[in-house]
Amino acid sequence: MPVVHICTVTPISMTVGANRIVPAVAIPHPLGNPALPPEEEKQVRRKILTTALEALSTEVELQTIFPVK
Amino acid sequence: MKLEIDNILINDIRLSDETKIEKGVLYVNPAELRAQLLEDPHIRDVAIDIARPGESVRIIPVKDVIEPRVKIEGPGGVFPGMVSKVTTVGSGITRVLKGAAVVTAGRVAGFQEGIIDMAGVGAAYTPFSQTCNLVLDFSPAEGLSAHEYERSLRMAGLKAAAALGEAGKDAEPDEVVVYESLDLMEGAKQFPDLPRVGYVLMLQSQGLLHDTYVYGVDMKQSLTTLLHPTEAMDGAIVSGNCVSACDKNTTYHHQNNPVIQDLFEAHGKTLNFAAMILTNENVYLADKERSSDWAAKLAEYLALDGLIITQEGFGNPDTDLVMNCRKIEATGIPTVLITNEYAGRDGTSQSLADADPAADAVISAGNANQLVTLPKMDKIIGSQAYVDRLAGGFADNVLADGSIVVELQAVTGSTNELGFGCLSAR
Repeated sequence: MPVVHICTVTPISMTVGANRIVPAVAIPHPLGNPALPPEEEKQVRRKILTTALEALSTEVELQTIFPVK
Repeated sequence: MKLEIDNILINDIRLSDETKIEKGVLYVNPAELRAQLLEDPHIRDVAIDIARPGESVRIIPVKDVIEPRVKIEGPGGVFPGMVSKVTTVGSGITRVLKGAAVVTAGRVAGFQEGIIDMAGVGAAYTPFSQTCNLVLDFSPAEGLSAHEYERSLRMAGLKAAAALGEAGKDAEPDEVVVYESLDLMEGAKQFPDLPRVGYVLMLQSQGLLHDTYVYGVDMKQSLTTLLHPTEAMDGAIVSGNCVSACDKNTTYHHQNNPVIQDLFEAHGKTLNFAAMILTNENVYLADKERSSDWAAKLAEYLALDGLIITQEGFGNPDTDLVMNCRKIEATGIPTVLITNEYAGRDGTSQSLADADPAADAVISAGNANQLVTLPKMDKIIGSQAYVDRLAGGFADNVLADGSIVVELQAVTGSTNELGFGCLSAR
C-alpha cells in the first residue's frame, strides 16, 4: 500500500526510508502557517494536501521528494 | 582581540549584610539582591539560598546557571545586549568569580528543566555540584505567559550574576589567563605550517522556549555568522533555553566553552585556531538548509583545514548537525562532531535521528536515556513536585525510600555536547 510521509525535516524522512515524501511547513506547525492570514493559510494547507494526494497516486522507483508547488 | 581572564577563586558563599569577597568567600547581601530582582513586576517573589559542594541538597527545577563576572577594563560590559549595552566584548580584562555560580530555579517555565544534586550519585553527573551556588528560587506573578516568565527568569539570573560580579572589582585575582585571536591575515601568517582549525558552535534556536541570544539577538533570526572566540568567552552568548537539561548549554557553559579553551591551548602547538562560526538550529527546513549552506560557505571562505562541530539539544537538531557535517565535508574539509546519544535505556537504539556516511568522526558525550537513581536529599531547593514531568522523568518515579529514578536527560549538564563533563561512550 503506498504511503506518503508529510514531514518538515525531509532529510530524516530520507534516513528512515520513506519512499514518497512531501515537505511540510515547520516542526511546530507542519500542516499550516499561523503567521499567515486564515485565507492564505488555507491555500498552503490545500497545496500540501493535494501534493500528498498526487504523490500517493504516483509510481516511484526510488525515494522521492515531491515539492509543494 | 586579546582577553585577559582574572580568576578570583571562590570557595564559599555566605549571606551577609554586605556583598563583598574576602579570603575566597563571596558574601552576599540577600535583601539588596532580592530588592533588585523584584523590580521586575513579573516576579512575585524570590527566595535566596546557597548550595555547596557535598551538601545533601537537591536544586529542582533548574533553568539556567550563570558565572558571576565583572568587566574591569576594555570595551563593553557583562552580557552585552542583555544586561549591558550592546558593545562588542572579548577584549580587555574580565574578572571571574571562579567557583561561584548563580542558579535560577523555581516553578517551571517549560517542562524541560533540570536537577542539580550537590551530593550522592547525581553529583557525579553534573558539573554544578562542584560550584558554590547562589540559588534563586522564583515565584512568578499571576497570569504570566510561559514566554514572559522565561524572559524574566533569564534576565533575573543575568542581573544577579552581574550584581555579584561587581564584588570582584575590589578583590585580588588568584590567577590570570590570556587568550588572543588575531585577525585573519595575521593569524594565517602566525603559524603557516599548522593546520587551520575552526569551530562551528550550533545554538539551540527552535523557539517555543528553546532559544539562545547573541548580543541580545535571538539566534533564530540570524544568518550563520562569525565571532571572535574571546567574545563567546566574554558573555556574548546567553541561554534562554528550557530544553532537556542534560544537553542544553547553560550560560555558564557558553562562558566556559571547553572546545574554545582547548583549541586555544593547542593553538601554535598542534594547530592554528583560525576561526569560530556561529550557527542556529531552526524549525523550518529552509532555515536548516540555508544555515548549513552558510556554515559550509564560511568554512571554505576562511580556507580552513578542519572543523569541530558541536550540537545543542537533540532530535531535529541532529539533522542540522548532519547537514553541517555533510556540506562541510563536501567542500573537502574534514569535520569532527561532538554530540550525545538517545540510544534507549539499554543503549541499543539508533543514537541520532539522522545519519550520513560523511559523519565518520563523532565524539559521544554519553547516553541521555540511561537511567539513574538519585538518593533522597535532606533539603530541596525549589520543588520536587514536577520530578515526574521533567524531560527524563516519568510517572511514579519517586520510590518508597524517597529516592527518584530519572533518565540522565533530567540532570543539568550531564551529557553536555561541548564536552563539559566526563561522560562518553564507545
